[in-house]
Amino acid sequence: MKLSELKIGQKARILSIKTTGPLKKRLMDMGILEGEPIIVEKVAPLGDPIDIVVKNYHLSLRKSEAEKIEVEVIE
Amino acid sequence: MKRIKVAVAGNPNSGKSTLINAIAGTHLYVGNWPGVTVEKKTATFKFDELTIDLVDLPGTYSLSPYTQEEIIARDFLVKEKPDVIIDVVDATNLERNLYLTVQLLELGIPVIVALNIFDEAKKKGYEINITELEQLLNVKVIPTVATKKEGIKELLQAVKEVATSPEKFRPRKLDYGPDVEEALKIIEEEIMKVRKELFDTYPKNWLCLKLLEGDERVLQDTGFKGDEDFLQRARSHFIKAHEEDPESILAEMRYGIAHGITQKVLRKKAGARIDLTQRIDKIVLNRYLGIPIFLAIMWFTFKFAFDFSGPFSDWIDGLISGPITRWATVGLNSLNSPEWLVSLVTEGIIAGVGAVLVFVPLIGIIMFLMTLLEGSGYMARAAFVMDKLMHSIGLHGKSFIPLILGFGCNVPSIYATRVLETERDRKLTAMICPPISCSARLPVYVLFIGAFFGTKGATVLFSIYILGMVMAIIVGFILKNTLFKGPTPPFIMELPPYRIPTLRDLTIHTWLKLKHFLIKAGTFILGASIVFWFLLNTPYGVEKENSYLGKFGKLISPIFEPLGFGNWQAASSLVTGIIAKEVVVTTMAEIYAPEKKEKKEEQITFSEEIKNICIGFISAFGKGFSNIFSSFGISSWEVEEQPTELQKKLQEVFTPLSAYSFLVFVLLYVPCLTFAFVLRAEFGWKTLGQVLLIYLILPWITSFIVYQGGKFLGFE
Repeated sequence: MKLSELKIGQKARILSIKTTGPLKKRLMDMGILEGEPIIVEKVAPLGDPIDIVVKNYHLSLRKSEAEKIEVEVIE
Repeated sequence: MKRIKVAVAGNPNSGKSTLINAIAGTHLYVGNWPGVTVEKKTATFKFDELTIDLVDLPGTYSLSPYTQEEIIARDFLVKEKPDVIIDVVDATNLERNLYLTVQLLELGIPVIVALNIFDEAKKKGYEINITELEQLLNVKVIPTVATKKEGIKELLQAVKEVATSPEKFRPRKLDYGPDVEEALKIIEEEIMKVRKELFDTYPKNWLCLKLLEGDERVLQDTGFKGDEDFLQRARSHFIKAHEEDPESILAEMRYGIAHGITQKVLRKKAGARIDLTQRIDKIVLNRYLGIPIFLAIMWFTFKFAFDFSGPFSDWIDGLISGPITRWATVGLNSLNSPEWLVSLVTEGIIAGVGAVLVFVPLIGIIMFLMTLLEGSGYMARAAFVMDKLMHSIGLHGKSFIPLILGFGCNVPSIYATRVLETERDRKLTAMICPPISCSARLPVYVLFIGAFFGTKGATVLFSIYILGMVMAIIVGFILKNTLFKGPTPPFIMELPPYRIPTLRDLTIHTWLKLKHFLIKAGTFILGASIVFWFLLNTPYGVEKENSYLGKFGKLISPIFEPLGFGNWQAASSLVTGIIAKEVVVTTMAEIYAPEKKEKKEEQITFSEEIKNICIGFISAFGKGFSNIFSSFGISSWEVEEQPTELQKKLQEVFTPLSAYSFLVFVLLYVPCLTFAFVLRAEFGWKTLGQVLLIYLILPWITSFIVYQGGKFLGFE
């Protein structure tokens, strides 16, 4: 499933990034890597962006970017 | 005496600026990197017998060729070849920070790791084995607590040590595994054969890695196409093994190294205390409370910035236009100076200096507050809360703050755009600020509304403000599809832990910005004020109609004919309104209802004058504080009562429709001189030119539609 579809508090593992070029590189630079565990912490009051924890820190992404990240739920 | 160049690199939120402030403090100079709006801090100072040129690189997470900050950082490192890199690493976030360290080590320049925020890491129960970290990276690692100035001496000592024997501290090549090593060997051999000289300019290992990655900028700079036979050969076997592009594989490998090192050196003690940041965020980013809390913080920021600074600006204004002008007049008169010279000095030069200085309290406080919001970590939350709304009009969540400040004054808005990450967002936000109706335009609205709209006044005023906001959105939309064409930058933003910024950081940053304002914008504003004095007062002593201003007004008045106010009086008032919008009212008063200047000779002794100045300054504090806690509203920008004489004259010249058209024009045309020159100081002449063009054409078109459309609909 997509990262954007995860519910708050759900833990997942990143499977792949379905985009290329600068956006992919930027996501990887921020620690969005294959196999990395990830958890959705919060959704902004207006429904977008979302706040995730990856590599032990908080990162916020718009749903349009989170859509490009494939994950599998682990818990 | 030896002179060395030291670059400071590090992730955003790693405490890099605090560390720089702790190292260089008063020696710092702030400017821009050439050709861009990215801030550049530099300092030159002595340490023992060493002269150190310190350069602060933009905070980056990586050294990819995709963001302006990263390009600046890597270009500097590759081309300027600093002697030492200080890599500021956040000890509480080791792995992600080491990812950048790994990339810095690829450059072959000696690196010193400043393991910053070490106190917080300890409090969190993190134990970092520094000796092992030093061995694994083959660099010196110095634990620092920049906020408390701890470890700074040791860090500089390390810089000295490394600079005296650089060869000993050349970073060891990191092991990317046999596949990559094989590929790098192929590239290196080929370059040695065909373009050996490239290794004189570029670090060997780094160049080979970048060519392997197919780094656009390096390809461009070196003239390779990227699909050369040897590059394809180098990539072929490990691409097969990994099914990914080389850039991604290398990113994974670098993170792999960072991860491996972190695993080895970091021990987390169990039972650490609950994360304070998480607890604050539970409230601050709460679904229901998030927006109200944001609005409350904005309201306080606004109140504090404008209402608190108001009395101080008034005090400076009073000081300049009162005692200082009086002293200058007395002084010049005692030298038998001609009347025009007295006027030039007092109304041109001294008033021009005053026009710059009245902005000091406002800009100072805004910079202080912006640094506070940024440094505390709240700014990222504000962006998180507002992004959906701002993104719907193509802007970044952080754009909200500069725009909302615009309602008080557009000038600090430009400074507040600094909080945005990309140049595109910074420029775009600054360029759509002018239609946000600042408080200086209010006196013009009040004058006309009182004369023409009576009971409908509130509606008219409201419609003007709304029109401004709508225009800002429209201009934004147009700019996005023309000047700033291309995809909106992604919103991938760290939500850093909450931290308390030090007072030293806040004051240093505020002072640097104020200095920049006084030098880079102030001189231009003063110059322009003097030019305007000549426009208004020459030939000296003639009626306003025959002054250059009047003549110029007459010349351009036909332009305003289709807008309903094609007379020289209105045109001239609009011209002087460029100094500041409220000047429109003063000019109109002088033209339509000239008052005979009565020279009141007050006899005040010098010591009394000084006493009054001091009392005034102290009471400004009282007023400032009482303003903050006073009822809702912007109390310090009260509108002075206008002589009804002027309004009667206006009623003879304007109709309600042409008055409204005039107000629309005042709303939308170039805000003021200070705005213009601050914009230039921050973004350059080109952006200023574009803004002038937009906000001369846009008001004309809009007023034209309002006036002609209104006439067509039967309004008068």
